[in-house]
Amino acid sequence: MAETSSAQQMLDQEMIARIGRRDQSAFSALYDRLSGPLYSLAMKMLGDPAEAQDALQDVFLQIWSRAGTYDPEQSSVFSWTVLLTRSRVIDRLRARGRRSRVVVASTEDSSTTVAADASTVESAADTAEKNDEAVRVRSVLNNLPSEQREAIEMAFFEHLTHHEIAARLGQPLGTVKARIRRGLLKLREQLRT
Amino acid sequence: MISEEQQDQAALYVLGLLEPHEAAAFESELNANAELRDIARELREAAGVVALAAPPQPPPASLKQRIMRELAMETKRVVPMPTRRGSFGWVPWAIAAGLAIFCGLLALDRVRLKRELAEIRAADPLMQTTFFTLAPSAPAPADAKATVAWQPGRQSGVIRISNLPAPQPGKDYQLWAVDAAHEDPISAGIIRVDKNGSAQVRFKSVKRAEHVKAFAISLEREGGVPKKEGPILLVGTA
Repeated sequence: MAETSSAQQMLDQEMIARIGRRDQSAFSALYDRLSGPLYSLAMKMLGDPAEAQDALQDVFLQIWSRAGTYDPEQSSVFSWTVLLTRSRVIDRLRARGRRSRVVVASTEDSSTTVAADASTVESAADTAEKNDEAVRVRSVLNNLPSEQREAIEMAFFEHLTHHEIAARLGQPLGTVKARIRRGLLKLREQLRT
Repeated sequence: MISEEQQDQAALYVLGLLEPHEAAAFESELNANAELRDIARELREAAGVVALAAPPQPPPASLKQRIMRELAMETKRVVPMPTRRGSFGWVPWAIAAGLAIFCGLLALDRVRLKRELAEIRAADPLMQTTFFTLAPSAPAPADAKATVAWQPGRQSGVIRISNLPAPQPGKDYQLWAVDAAHEDPISAGIIRVDKNGSAQVRFKSVKRAEHVKAFAISLEREGGVPKKEGPILLVGTA
């Protein structure tokens, strides 16, 4: 997993294995480690604290019930939980028959669009400072060519299909697909270094 | 060789953007193509970290309490199976007996391992030994297991493995120590199992590991690797 070291990946897998054996202390530890980024993701996609909290509750209860099905060959624990969260959020958005309210063109812009009071912003900033990996990932994302980052963020956070992205950007479908693919591969490559 | 079109499909697949019939067709292709699976995994990892582009927002402290409460209620909701006096009434008892035997064998395993370490301990009575029980995670068989007796003072240990089938040609099992002071797991060497899937090996850590939190066994290229690359098969803490 690019987000964390190999050692952290092993500990994550150990926590998941223990959760599969119904170990609540492991569940609590995994919550402490992952709830921040997962909640941030849910907030960005849903734009509503109450809904984001409900989504996160669904996700963690799903982690509890599905830990035994986690396959380390498919993905790291981090990516597994991120994609689980995204999927739950998309279910909620679909159920309400609306799209994500997020209006984001870039990661830099997004950091200034969060509606929050001063203390929340300070707290969020503290969290970011404490997480060097997250800072590094954001830096790598910001260094992607803007058209690749834009296509990835539209697909990831707004859950627009490649057809919808092509229509919104006025670009051929093949171009959009290539931007998403190249951006993800570049992201992976840069995070490895 | 994976074509750009296949990579495009893989990228759309991990982002959940394929139509259901396209996703089903791509999954069939994935099942038949190991190289494509590797690409999909790489792309899935990249997609996962995109989440970190979201502005950090700590969840309220009350949410954890709420989830833990819900978890406790979920656990209580698991109603015990009603007692059945039908022809399969013996099944739960058979499972319980099997579990009891399994636990007994595990305990026996541990006792044997402890006995074998007694001699080493005698040479240095102050030496501390920590035991780690390693549990399987997919794709290891569910009954695979391992026990590690680790002596930090000597930076060495003994591992006993059972029910772990020999790896395919060109692969080896490698033991790793997860140490709090090191970012990456520390190699503790290659472990070779016999035809019954068992092994008992003395090992030494390649680097000094003072704060070992866990041991793990991964499937790696033949001869081992300096840094873990393959999937974890067994992992466990003390």
